[in-house]
Amino acid sequence: MDASETYQVRLEAFQGPLDLLLFLIKKRKIDIHDIPIAVITREYLEYLNHKERLNLDREAEFLLIAALLIYIKSQMLLPREKALEEEKDPRQLLVEHLVDYQKIKTASLLLKEKEEEELQMWRRSFLPPLVETDEMDFIEVSLFDLAESFFRLMKQRERKEARTIKGEEISLEQKMREIIEELKRNSYLDFLDYFNRQESFEEAFIAFFSLLELIKSRIIIATQESHFQPIKVWLRKKAYKSN
Amino acid sequence: MDTKIKEIIESLVFISQEPLSLQRIKEVLQEFPVEEVEQAFKELQESYASNDHGIQIIQRAGGYLLSTKPEYDLWVRRLLKMERKNKLSSASLETLSAIAYKQPTTLTEISALRGVDSTHTLKTLLQKKLIRIVGRKKSPGSPLLYRTTDKFLTYFGLNRLDDLPSPEEIKKILEEQSDLEE
Repeated sequence: MDASETYQVRLEAFQGPLDLLLFLIKKRKIDIHDIPIAVITREYLEYLNHKERLNLDREAEFLLIAALLIYIKSQMLLPREKALEEEKDPRQLLVEHLVDYQKIKTASLLLKEKEEEELQMWRRSFLPPLVETDEMDFIEVSLFDLAESFFRLMKQRERKEARTIKGEEISLEQKMREIIEELKRNSYLDFLDYFNRQESFEEAFIAFFSLLELIKSRIIIATQESHFQPIKVWLRKKAYKSN
Repeated sequence: MDTKIKEIIESLVFISQEPLSLQRIKEVLQEFPVEEVEQAFKELQESYASNDHGIQIIQRAGGYLLSTKPEYDLWVRRLLKMERKNKLSSASLETLSAIAYKQPTTLTEISALRGVDSTHTLKTLLQKKLIRIVGRKKSPGSPLLYRTTDKFLTYFGLNRLDDLPSPEEIKKILEEQSDLEE
């Protein structure tokens, strides 16, 4: 029998070398406890030859079992002083391994059936989150990220401009209201951009502490699409509704 | 009075995203006598078991959930405009069953059993929270030990680990398969 004509299944279709071996054993209707090693080894190797190049990262395991098969075959061919029955069958380890694997494989097919049944029973947890979806996709920024970002910015400004002293004093409360008003107009604030817009150091500092206060009282949330992305400040939906 | 308890329990099961245990229900209904809560829960189950509901109470991972009945899957998906959910890959299923039957177990043991390096699959399963790390094995290299989670049970419609197909059942299936082939 020419293997290249009969085998349509590709190597990629198998979970691994044991899966392939089981397939060959099943195909030939062989008793797993009495494998004709020569036949199986030949078919197994033909399977590997079928592929032009083996991807060693993924398919090294196939070679390992090939080597094992050839080793077992050689062991069985070697003339023995004692009769084979008295010794350990060289196939024994492989058979035990295959039997173990076959059990797990069968169990996994049963689990697959269970999965199929279970996915037809819809529950609330199957549904995508209904609220605050845009918040969920982001990383919530920690206080340390905020502080680091803020102080880096302030340092930059320090070098750029002379210190301006303003007579006007802005309260924390005033600033917090300002931030909320701005967030109601635009959906979000760019964290760095917002501080850059502040006229003086004092104002920037007050703005920073106002933001922290608002975050602490869970009125706003600072998020990032991923690390090193701009930090954005949002009004929390719940807080918005209650306002 | 009884009906009220029954209705409270129904609301709790309805709103729970995860299996709700009877224990938890009793805790929440603290002002009612435990026997009455149990009785009401039984009645609730019975009323859902009678055949005129599109939803059912199912027991998963030691708790209770409301779910739609499987035969109405088509219409639920049509409403939600959702395709069938992604299923696990064969590699994931194989790795999960290896862990489920051998737990607690290590990466090396799983890889040896499957004859395939399972590092990547294990990582995916951890991310999906279907398995978790429970400690380290007291052996050279102190490898991490893995177990299946409650989410694993719920995902496969199991109430307890004992509900997994038993070794005898698997043996029977394998024998039937080889009988069919002969």
